[in-house]
Amino acid sequence: MAHIRVCVGLLALLATTASAPAVAQPIEYAIKASYLYKFAPFVQWPPTAFASPTAPLTICIVGPDPFGKMLDDAVRGQRVNGHPIEIRRIEAVHPGIACNILFAGSEAGNEMLRAMAHEPVLTVTDRSHGGTGGMIQFVTIGGRVRFAVNQAAAEQGGLAISSKLLGLAVSVTR
Amino acid sequence: MLIGQEESVGSKGAFLIRHAGIGPAVALLLSCAAPAGAQSVEDLRDLSLEELANVSISSVSKSSEALADAPAAIFVITHDDIQRSGATSLPEMLRLAPNLYVAQSSSNTYTITARGLSGNPGLVNFTNKLLVLIDGRSVYSPFYSGVFWDMQDVLPDDIERIEVVSGPGATLWGANAFSGVINITTRRSGETQGLLVGGDAGARARSGELRYGGRLGGNLTARIYLRGLSEDETLNASGASAHDDWWRLQGGFRLDWTPGELDAVTVQGDVMNGRIDAATGGDTLTRNRNLLARWTHSQKDGSAYELQAYYDRSAREITQNGGRLWIDTYDLYLQHNNMVGTKGDLVWGGGVRAYRFNTVGNDSIYFLPPKRTLMLADVFAQYGWAFAPGAKLTLGVKLEKDPYVGTSVLPNARLAWKPADALLLWASIARAVRSPTPFDRDVVEAVNQKPLLIGGAAFRNEKLTAFEAGTRIQASSAASFSLSAYYNLYDDLKALEITPITTVPFYWANALKGHSYGLEAWGDISLARWWKLRAGLSLLHERFAFKPGATRFLGANQVGNDPSRQATLGSSFNIGRTISIDANVRYVGPLPDPVVHSYCELGGKIGWRVNDHVQLSISGTNLLHKWHQELPGDVASQAPRTILAGLKWRI
Repeated sequence: MAHIRVCVGLLALLATTASAPAVAQPIEYAIKASYLYKFAPFVQWPPTAFASPTAPLTICIVGPDPFGKMLDDAVRGQRVNGHPIEIRRIEAVHPGIACNILFAGSEAGNEMLRAMAHEPVLTVTDRSHGGTGGMIQFVTIGGRVRFAVNQAAAEQGGLAISSKLLGLAVSVTR
Repeated sequence: MLIGQEESVGSKGAFLIRHAGIGPAVALLLSCAAPAGAQSVEDLRDLSLEELANVSISSVSKSSEALADAPAAIFVITHDDIQRSGATSLPEMLRLAPNLYVAQSSSNTYTITARGLSGNPGLVNFTNKLLVLIDGRSVYSPFYSGVFWDMQDVLPDDIERIEVVSGPGATLWGANAFSGVINITTRRSGETQGLLVGGDAGARARSGELRYGGRLGGNLTARIYLRGLSEDETLNASGASAHDDWWRLQGGFRLDWTPGELDAVTVQGDVMNGRIDAATGGDTLTRNRNLLARWTHSQKDGSAYELQAYYDRSAREITQNGGRLWIDTYDLYLQHNNMVGTKGDLVWGGGVRAYRFNTVGNDSIYFLPPKRTLMLADVFAQYGWAFAPGAKLTLGVKLEKDPYVGTSVLPNARLAWKPADALLLWASIARAVRSPTPFDRDVVEAVNQKPLLIGGAAFRNEKLTAFEAGTRIQASSAASFSLSAYYNLYDDLKALEITPITTVPFYWANALKGHSYGLEAWGDISLARWWKLRAGLSLLHERFAFKPGATRFLGANQVGNDPSRQATLGSSFNIGRTISIDANVRYVGPLPDPVVHSYCELGGKIGWRVNDHVQLSISGTNLLHKWHQELPGDVASQAPRTILAGLKWRI
């Protein structure tokens, strides 16, 4: 029944997109924004990634920000294993940057992520915008936002991704 | 005498069909949903990752998530609802839907229907007006249009959702979607990875299951499972053993492959064997084999094709007196959805189904001809037009060619209006039919080599014109409510007629007509994050009369012996993160003729999540009475109290 509650709003949105298909579909980004913080409980960072048990979990957006206020609304009041969530918008990345999750939305992001290969940062990209360099990549299948996981890349960064998340992935690169 | 014999046909004879929407059958209704304003990420907050992965971003892909807001009387039983209820069989799970009537008649048989017309087994009329799909495979028997519930099983933990539509769905799903549609959808194999070992056992019933899911390649996942159950005999109305103890063993697999971003392929199959004891005449053996493949191809513009094919063999055999029947079904189905301009969407499709039935009769029941191959074909189209902000009109029609009566036209018009984000109003007019089966046309029941009851050579479609209206209200983020009302006009309903002068043989004819109206309401409210209540109510008034020229040999009550009122009340309660307590109370009003008293019963479960891997539970059904009668004592035994201790272990 929880679905039903949620669905009223969703349906409204679906129908809106139906009558105006040319317009950008905000639900798509609302879903991607929700994924960003919902991934966190299924990822194990090395102990050094957090200064303390209550230190914030930082989600960084590099380059163009497709979410805007939506992401801030999504994470408001949310906690992941005791860590509050903080959003940072940045222009560029460098090794050692204080991010736990890094979203690079544009194709240009692929190049930037190369420098982050051995960092304990969960990198997320969007394949529908050419982003193929992330440990997690959003893909759109059958009208649904799903994701692929590059487990080899995650291990290189010292991250362990739970089998549950791998199970939900449309594909896993080992 | 007639009664006893016919009963054995219903429970031991038979099989047939009608089409079969693919995928979430109910999903098609979504394309009827009203357009409306925008919404925010807050609505996604409570969704799990699995749920998030199922949210549709384009209306033409027919999200099953949003189905609950489709303009029809749909109730959704979720995976969580099932896990928390303690139900271990499909019929017991279906008791969670307030828009269904579920009555147990023996350890392994049930009457399940929506909006009345449940039949009257004492008067030779069996429940036969519901479409039931398991992952797109139609499971009602094409032999008599009813469902052998003792042959249908799904591992409870695999079920993603059960969608229950009350009211006709013939335009989308075809001829047996008369009173309602039940669509059971299992999880993708990627969502059931790892090892699961589970079991429930009590004094009179036990079940166990083993499942393993793995990844075979980067984008190929699979699961295999084995599940068995056995139940002890029930007591008949006089307290003697009904000799209906039984067991069933089923195994199967599911493969899910996503070769590219726009394609999804599923291949799945099951093998089932069962054995049911009988007081006389020998045990019944049941067997099912099925294999299904489905391919969904999406395009970047949001349109999608879905192609599905399956094979199903269902067989029943009575060990001593030689009655046997088996049916092979071959089904192929294609569907396409796409946008038309900026305000329209179109769903169209078609399918063919061939079924070959084969019977070995005995002295008291046989079929003429004993074997036959029947072909069924259909095409349908449905167009949705968002003609004003928040309003949508959906028109659809299905043409279905049946082997006995030729082509039926099954139209539907549906209007949805969302004057505000939290309010949906809808209305619908639809036509549906139940088409003839071998059991209506070809059956011969004999006494002393003389035919006593024969199929009606002129038996034609049973017909329904249904008027419905409803509303769905999201009162707040914690409370929702659904109300639907209906008026059904029936014609050419099945009745038993007698041959002039000689009386026998009796034969089937379309001798009854009638109407019904009723109301279905349900809602839920979260009183706290850890406590949720739900309630449901169903009211029904039916009136049937013989058509001119009918012989009126039996009463008009042969159409259905339905309760005029039912109510449910449920509570889901959590203590911390590890303990869940659920209780479901149901009240079923009296049955009119033959009379069965009203009853109130309670089911529930206490679950304890010991750690991430182990879960213990105690669950029960029918806790208020050791035994109680749900259907007339001459055709049904008593439903038992069952208490089970359960263990679930995941790695």
